[in-house]
Amino acid sequence: MTAVTIEAGLPGLALAPFPATTPATVASPLRQRALAARRMVIDMAATPTGCHLGGSLSVMDILIAALDRTATDPDSEVVLSKGHAAAGLYAALYVTGILEEDPVPHYGGATHHFTGHPGPSVEGVRFPTGSLGHGAPYALGWALSRRLAGTPGLGIAVLGDGELQEGLVWETCQVAAAQRVGNLIVVVDRNGGQNDGLVADISPEPRLAERFDAFGFEVRQVDGHDVDALRDLFEPDRSDRERPLAVIADTVKGKGLRPVEGKAASHYVTIDARRAAAWKEIVR
Amino acid sequence: MTLPGRTAYRDELTSLAADNPRILCLEADLGGRGHPFAAAYPDRFFNVGIAEGTMIDMAAGLAEGGYQPFVSTFAPFAALRAAESLKLALGYLGAGVTVVAPYAGVSGGWFGTTHHCLEDFAVLRAVPGVTVAAPHGEEEMRAVIRRAARTGEPHYIRTGRNAAPVSLPWEGTDPPVVNWDDAGAGAGRICLVSVGEVGTELCLAVRRARPDLPHAHLCFVDQPHLERAAAELAERFDRFIVVEEHRPAGSVGSALALLLPGREVRSVNAGDRWPVHGGSHEQVLDELGLNEGALWKALTSYEVPPGATSAGEGEQT
Repeated sequence: MTAVTIEAGLPGLALAPFPATTPATVASPLRQRALAARRMVIDMAATPTGCHLGGSLSVMDILIAALDRTATDPDSEVVLSKGHAAAGLYAALYVTGILEEDPVPHYGGATHHFTGHPGPSVEGVRFPTGSLGHGAPYALGWALSRRLAGTPGLGIAVLGDGELQEGLVWETCQVAAAQRVGNLIVVVDRNGGQNDGLVADISPEPRLAERFDAFGFEVRQVDGHDVDALRDLFEPDRSDRERPLAVIADTVKGKGLRPVEGKAASHYVTIDARRAAAWKEIVR
Repeated sequence: MTLPGRTAYRDELTSLAADNPRILCLEADLGGRGHPFAAAYPDRFFNVGIAEGTMIDMAAGLAEGGYQPFVSTFAPFAALRAAESLKLALGYLGAGVTVVAPYAGVSGGWFGTTHHCLEDFAVLRAVPGVTVAAPHGEEEMRAVIRRAARTGEPHYIRTGRNAAPVSLPWEGTDPPVVNWDDAGAGAGRICLVSVGEVGTELCLAVRRARPDLPHAHLCFVDQPHLERAAAELAERFDRFIVVEEHRPAGSVGSALALLLPGREVRSVNAGDRWPVHGGSHEQVLDELGLNEGALWKALTSYEVPPGATSAGEGEQT
């Protein structure tokens, strides 16, 4: 991994400055960007509404990598299908430079559009999600539109593993494979949690890679927190591929914030400003 | 000889696609065989299989990608199974997707209740930003399809199965907000207001016996169109009977009653019963009490029906 100096002036850094103890030469730009976004998510958990903290932190590296891929490519789109991680999406859009307005002061507030599940009035939000399953078929349509237009763009849908319990997801996989939309990428943020507890306890998803393979997808299982490796996955031109790609990204709910890492209770969190300040010091 | 609504849709869309390469046609396994669009433009035709929700969300992605997708499946599967996709994609996102929904009402006859849809106005009229149309006959269907292609706006278009009524004439490009069929009608009479294929045919049947009764035909029934229609209706008449193949809740009649305070609005509709028996479209309508007799019965407070016509039992107020 290339060591670089922290990029001064990244959006979000002014709001959530790095602690003085943070080594300045240990992380790639994308990791730095993800860290800045995680601090913003913590701040959003300290708003009166709180936020879906655990899932926003688990999905962060995926979003950072995917948005970096699409930020300068109008032919490619990222859809956060697990829309409850809106805080994570807003932060990722902001630190990537897609979203100009800082969402933190306005998250969940009246007269502002940074709602707990994202809508299309927010710059960079492609489809209103939160009712689970819908982002995948939207991304499929976008990917097919690029194929029809003869451009190499991607449609990237980011789903939660709990979201895979929705039938619409598998209906979409069926159609995507049948239509041979190889420029569709479905990324599963496999953090193992859902609203009421653990996926494994509520509705387990054994042999997930085999399932996607059986549907006709290419399948990659990756570390969902290796943001640079994820970025590499999104790089290739897939316009000549016939099998859509499923990326099963193993993640940790609450990733980067030790007090909540791996805890189902981190699904939705409301904290006060003092705790937010402490957590921003230790988040990594 | 006119074409049924769904056949007219396929033919018109195929014609439009000749000059508009952005038009796409999507089906969900209920119209793909022998589809003229598939034969003419196989690269722009997608039978996605039995996947209605995916089809509509996917169409939103195609629309955002610069295309004009027209999707079609039976009305119950479009308006009810995929209702949330319609809300999010056509409503909230405002994606330029047109949904054409045959088998509306009980036009499926013996196919049974799963294939009937007496609730689609209630669902789609409640989604802001969607133009809702119930064209009557081939010419209206063709005009509505052309409107959808021209404007690129979200449309929901309901039609029946195989009925092929003759559209009322009108002047201009699009069907008007109110298409007045009132030649020979007297002032101060109760005005028939028709919606859709069945409602319009029933009103026309009554008009043949009583040409002195005015008739206002509505093709577009979304809220903005109904607001304009209500204003136009109120300029001419004070009493109305709205006839439509829909349940009373969420009906056009109920909407017009709210839009016409102080005016008398009655409704002849398909009622609240479940159509549990088979038979033809007309027989199922009879079972539900939506027939010419029901309309005459609703009129009896105001008009004397011809002696040969017996009253039905299906009036709902």
